[in-house]
Amino acid sequence: MITGTIRLNLVLALLMIPVQSFSAQTTTLKLVQPVLTDAKEGMLKSPQGVACNKEGLFIVGDTGNGRLLTYTFKDDAVKGGGEVKLPQMIYPQRLQLNSKGEIFVLDGKLRRILRLSQQGAFIGFLDPQGLPGGTAPVPKSFKIDEQDNIYILDTYSERVIVLDPAGKYLKEVPFPSPHGFFTDLAVNAEGSIYLVDGTNSTVFVAEKKAMAFVPLTKSMKADMDFPGYITTDSRGNIYLVDQNGGGIIALGPDGSFRTRMLSMGWKPGLLYYPGQICLNNKGALFVADRDNNRVQIFEMAK
Amino acid sequence: MNLSHIRLVLLILTLSLGICLTANAQDSELKFKLKPGASGKLCLDCHDAFKEKLAKSSVHTPLKKGDCIGCHNPHSSDHGKLLAADMTNICATCHKSMVPAGAKSVHKVVAEGTCTKCHDPHSTNSKFNLLKGGNELCFECHKGMGETIGKAKFKHLPVTKGCLTCHDPHASGKADFLLKDSVPALCIGCHKTDRPNFIKSHMGYPVAGSRCTGCHDPHGSDRGGILYNNVHKPVVSKMCNQCHEAANSTTPLKTKKAGYELCRVCHSTQVNSMFAKNRVHWPILDKEGCLSCHNPHASKQKGLIKADLITTCGRCHQDTIRRQEKSMTKHEPIKDGKCTSCHDPHASDNAFLFNQANVIDLCGTCHDWQKHSTHPIGEKTRDPRNKNVSVQCLSCHRAHGTEYKHFIPFPTTSDLCVQCHEQFKR
Repeated sequence: MITGTIRLNLVLALLMIPVQSFSAQTTTLKLVQPVLTDAKEGMLKSPQGVACNKEGLFIVGDTGNGRLLTYTFKDDAVKGGGEVKLPQMIYPQRLQLNSKGEIFVLDGKLRRILRLSQQGAFIGFLDPQGLPGGTAPVPKSFKIDEQDNIYILDTYSERVIVLDPAGKYLKEVPFPSPHGFFTDLAVNAEGSIYLVDGTNSTVFVAEKKAMAFVPLTKSMKADMDFPGYITTDSRGNIYLVDQNGGGIIALGPDGSFRTRMLSMGWKPGLLYYPGQICLNNKGALFVADRDNNRVQIFEMAK
Repeated sequence: MNLSHIRLVLLILTLSLGICLTANAQDSELKFKLKPGASGKLCLDCHDAFKEKLAKSSVHTPLKKGDCIGCHNPHSSDHGKLLAADMTNICATCHKSMVPAGAKSVHKVVAEGTCTKCHDPHSTNSKFNLLKGGNELCFECHKGMGETIGKAKFKHLPVTKGCLTCHDPHASGKADFLLKDSVPALCIGCHKTDRPNFIKSHMGYPVAGSRCTGCHDPHGSDRGGILYNNVHKPVVSKMCNQCHEAANSTTPLKTKKAGYELCRVCHSTQVNSMFAKNRVHWPILDKEGCLSCHNPHASKQKGLIKADLITTCGRCHQDTIRRQEKSMTKHEPIKDGKCTSCHDPHASDNAFLFNQANVIDLCGTCHDWQKHSTHPIGEKTRDPRNKNVSVQCLSCHRAHGTEYKHFIPFPTTSDLCVQCHEQFKR
């Protein structure tokens, strides 16, 4: 015999189903902890880069100090902070890890990509082989996909160059026209390439086999000041870093606006001119909080 | 049908038309039981001054016809001056075709419907009821342009004849800036590009399809050939082939190198010193290179900058310019378009391409009080909100402004202070 109260609860529970499935799309960020120092308690200075992997490793491009710092983040605890300093690396701005754990570093001053071993030893510069026309790229940013292919945002020749893991030219996709200034690119698990136009706050996409970019979004100037970084998660959601507005914007795979997270400031949990971000498979978000001289780790609560 | 029959038919038709028109006017008067001439002529019994207006050389057609109710409601109205419609719309009820479909540029006053800024709705002594004749009217608003044209040593003849030689005062379906045609088509209308003089003065380069206003100031300048006042040295010395391929080559307008590499040939010291810095301004490194901000031939601005710095920098940094526009307190260097007071537009080792490494020193170049401020600032004073940053000017202010006074990021000063001095929080 079902009593009136139980019946009411069942009806309410049924009514809650659509609400719960909607809330699954809404992401909020919870601060786990800020990372302020290296292993020797030395302060971070203008860190612009951060890369992470599923083993819990995260590496910080401590740009102002011209070095990398390697940490692990496991069970909500940060350990490590060992320094990697190399004569070949002056101004590490953006970092990526490939599936073998090799570290790729874009040096903003040299405008070249360095390839380092898992331990941080210098292997060599990534000099693309077989580029048509022979014009060397001027990389503004780069990304590595799950197959270790490398995607370079070549500002000088207005194109995205795709290289195989050994650095051999595979293809290129020209920048769309008209455009403003492209600050970053991203690649999702399906191989679609995204470009973010910082001046116009627009995202473009080129599907895996496409040879041209098409607009994915309209201008989102009302929602952000200057998107400086773009990345995707395993579900294809897109995340933009609003560098000048101190926030992170989440878009759906179709480019639809989902939410704006975090805000500008100095206190823990706030951002001041953030640079690169990295999402790992355990729902941790690492943010290079450049002008706060720290990296902040957030948990993506769903 | 003989000729007399035709004449008779025509006479009947004319009379019928006349009767219809008169009947129509009489109909209105009868319908509303109006006094004779009540649609306008009667108004003049009281509005005496209009007799004077009617004596002027250019009288608005409805007034000339004595049709005051064409624009005014004689009894009551929701609009000023008993107008039959809103001031910004009433002219368009008759003058519908002032803006062509798909216009490339529209005069602001036309878009706003403020026709009376140029025209008198009743009468004037200038053509088209204009408030003043010739360029004088345009210079009422475009004052700066009037002064520049007046001072220019070398005049452009069409400008002295009148702005309307090249511009359409209402809208242009063909070009920006209300130009009657696009550049160079408009210029080529007068300047024949196949004339020996034209070819010689352009060093034999096929410039007929180029944008003339890249080098020449159509409003006149202080340099011969009405070149803009600041001219790139190779252009002054007519050494076009310093940057371009030879005039008789197959690609004469092509530059010898691309992007910053071309400029580096002469400006090697500057380019090399840029590349020695940690941060190079990204537009220098793109396809356009230096030409992202500079004109290669001539410019109104010093340093061959494309436009004033607010416009030039604002092309990419729109959010920063917008922030300043919205700011309750204006930061003078930004308001005056002096971005380079704080930033190096080429390269720097410092964040935000600042001219100086230390923010306090940078602000101190203008705000010397900052150096004897009583609030502790400097490298040794750590920010209680984040011990990894020191307290400096930008800890409390955003140099490009906020929606609050004094560039602070909080509504009141106390809201700002309690960020650190939490014990005083109410």
